[in-house]
Amino acid sequence: MNRRSFFKSGVGASLFFSSTIITKYDNLFSEPWKSEDLPFDLVAVKGGEPEIMFRKGIEAFGGIKTFIKNGQKVIIKPNIGWDVSPERASNTNPKLVAEIVRACLEVGASEVYVFDHTCDNWQRCYKNSGIEAAVKNAGGKMAPAHAEGYYHEVEIPRGKSLTKVKEHELILNADVFINVPVLKNHEGSRLTIAMKNLMGIVWDRGIWHRDDLHQCIADYATYRKPTLNIVDAYAVLKQNGPRGVSIEDVVSMKSLLISPDLVTIDSAAAKLYGMIPNDVRYIQLASDQKVGRMDLENLRIKRLTI
Amino acid sequence: MQWLKRIRVILAIVSLTSISLLYFDFGNNIPFYLSSFILSTQVFPTIIDCLITGGTISVVLILILLSTILFGRIYCSTLCPLGILQDIIIRAKKLKNRRNRYRFKKPFYLFHYSLFGISLLLLFFGSTVLINIFEPFSTYGRILSNLANPIVVLVNNIFGNLIALIGFINLIHIPLLHVSISSIIGSFSIFALVGYLAFSQGRMFCNLLCPVGAFLGILSRYSIFKIVIDEKNCKDCGLCERVCKAACIKSKERSIDFAACIGCFNCLDVCPTVGMSYKRVSKRSTEIPVLIDEKRRQILKNSVLSILTYVIPDTLNIRSEANKTTYDESRKLPIAPPGAVDLKRFSNYCTACHLCVNSCPTQVLFPSLMDYGFSGIFQPKMNYNASYCNYDCVICGNICPTGAILPLDAQSKKEIQIGKVVFAKDDCIVITKKKDFGACAEHCPTKAVRMVPFEKLMLPEVRDNICVGCGACEHACPVIPRKAIFVVSNQVHQKAQKPEIKKIEQSFDSTQEFPF
Repeated sequence: MNRRSFFKSGVGASLFFSSTIITKYDNLFSEPWKSEDLPFDLVAVKGGEPEIMFRKGIEAFGGIKTFIKNGQKVIIKPNIGWDVSPERASNTNPKLVAEIVRACLEVGASEVYVFDHTCDNWQRCYKNSGIEAAVKNAGGKMAPAHAEGYYHEVEIPRGKSLTKVKEHELILNADVFINVPVLKNHEGSRLTIAMKNLMGIVWDRGIWHRDDLHQCIADYATYRKPTLNIVDAYAVLKQNGPRGVSIEDVVSMKSLLISPDLVTIDSAAAKLYGMIPNDVRYIQLASDQKVGRMDLENLRIKRLTI
Repeated sequence: MQWLKRIRVILAIVSLTSISLLYFDFGNNIPFYLSSFILSTQVFPTIIDCLITGGTISVVLILILLSTILFGRIYCSTLCPLGILQDIIIRAKKLKNRRNRYRFKKPFYLFHYSLFGISLLLLFFGSTVLINIFEPFSTYGRILSNLANPIVVLVNNIFGNLIALIGFINLIHIPLLHVSISSIIGSFSIFALVGYLAFSQGRMFCNLLCPVGAFLGILSRYSIFKIVIDEKNCKDCGLCERVCKAACIKSKERSIDFAACIGCFNCLDVCPTVGMSYKRVSKRSTEIPVLIDEKRRQILKNSVLSILTYVIPDTLNIRSEANKTTYDESRKLPIAPPGAVDLKRFSNYCTACHLCVNSCPTQVLFPSLMDYGFSGIFQPKMNYNASYCNYDCVICGNICPTGAILPLDAQSKKEIQIGKVVFAKDDCIVITKKKDFGACAEHCPTKAVRMVPFEKLMLPEVRDNICVGCGACEHACPVIPRKAIFVVSNQVHQKAQKPEIKKIEQSFDSTQEFPF
């Protein structure tokens, strides 16, 4: 094979594969379960280490196998936005992320990818958050998300302000998407929890800030529904968010929430933080747009203390 | 004596590879002690570092100077990256079946040494301009940083996109933010000049323009061991003259101008008899031309003065521009990286090797053109349009070979204020569009920018005493082309106050039930 024929076949192959990928983008996640069939709408755990709280919490849903079938490709999206150390709680707890990776692999996930579209330099964020080492150790893979080429445009049919975004190709190709935000203070949007964390899987989020941040967060939630949301509230940044200035900004809460419903989990997390969910405008907007339910009093909640 | 050439070639390959690797260290994996060791082999940056900017005395530098006193300019063929690059070009010419034949050429000592003298004078009067242009390490660095590195990155990204389509994520996309067209043109011109001279004239650059060549050449006049032609064994074949890249062998007269010899040992390699060897020379065996007579001295003095009158006011310009207040004028001053101490000092000692530009993980460092004045051509500045300075990163100072950017630890870096944040309230989106927006405050590592309530919205507020000037707010600001929040350069870097640490009261009671 000479060089010319190599390139020819290479271009041909890439065209072929790209066409298959583009057709694959049409399927959204297949749900092996219906939320009515799940035993609970929300599981709240407190008083333990992140790994133990996660294991106990997911057990209440019948284990992670309720959500993942053998051979499926899993994407885990923690918050890795900032180049700060784990104890500063600006990023998701690395122990929790690693434990989720392990749990997914145990039930036969084919691949587990972890990524975030970071704010600070991505390599430093991955490294200094402790998440890269923890994930690799657990058998998962860290994926890059720092360049526009990894993202592809999708329409948001029910969006009011936001009608299209560029979304990461791993999300577009995934079978299961687990959203693992950290609960923390945020000067721009009051609180960042599960819905706000989804900004880390899109490329052109500058527009969100410019248009109407709260409306855009709610709009995107009408389109992208994670398989499962796990809120890390082990250590919570209570001031100077989202980056934090020092360890003094952090309060230990040793809590964890699990729910497939974005609005439910954000409402519960806001209450846990000490705020009224209606005060966080995007939660209210998402509830109005029927993304999920914020009437916690009518929901089936499992409360666990370790 | 053929083993000498072999050793030379091996050393050259090792040193060229290790220096080049510094410019392709995309993940910043090379530890500082290794990079500083590699860089300490570069004479001029190390001299500036040791003698002027207060680095420790380098053992490697002393060894290099000693070796020159002992054996001549072997540095030029073993450690100098630009010299080795020329050797590669000369070698490539040979591969294309074109013979390299050299004949003795009378060296241009007057021109070369005058240029060197002027470069030195300018350096002490506060301008690195001539050294910036001709210093071999920096020149080589700019060629790698501005020409080779972008090509490698582009190939990586294009190829990476192709294989990503097949489904692998192996080659990671590398952003290319530090590309400056003017700097590319500048680097390409000097590369073309070096290449042309190497192709047609051998090592002419080293004996005509290179300041290190001049410096070591002066030392090598007094070398203890020199290459000499043995009167008894020489058969007058003239092979040595033909292979001499520096054109310093006069085979007919059996003399070698050792000050111009770059120590490649090709002559020793090619000599069919034992007609040439390193010998201890008791007195100067070569005639050294009279360098400077009275008249020439006068011409030299005049030319130096005329250049100084041009350059000095130019560098001083920086001073007079400090107190201007309008947007455009206050933005004229470049922002120098932390560790530069002050703009003038930085501009005096930076040789524009662009190693920091290449090593910066956020690629906020950018080759400027005339921002530091004509004398500071191609020196790097902070470019907050492309990126911002990472709060915890100290790479640029630790990699800088001249000490123009001083090495810092993470804590002392956080206390340096390279510029001050300015908030143009009337341009801010919160005011113009009446929408909540706070990416500037989000990104600020010290909360020098924070959000305060304003007519049901939140508006940024700045406290420039705790600002470090990292540019994160300016980078995040969506207002274009005139940012609503921006950093104004500190001509002399100042101390940033520590961000106020207010302990949050532990309001969380873990024994309580869940609040839902």
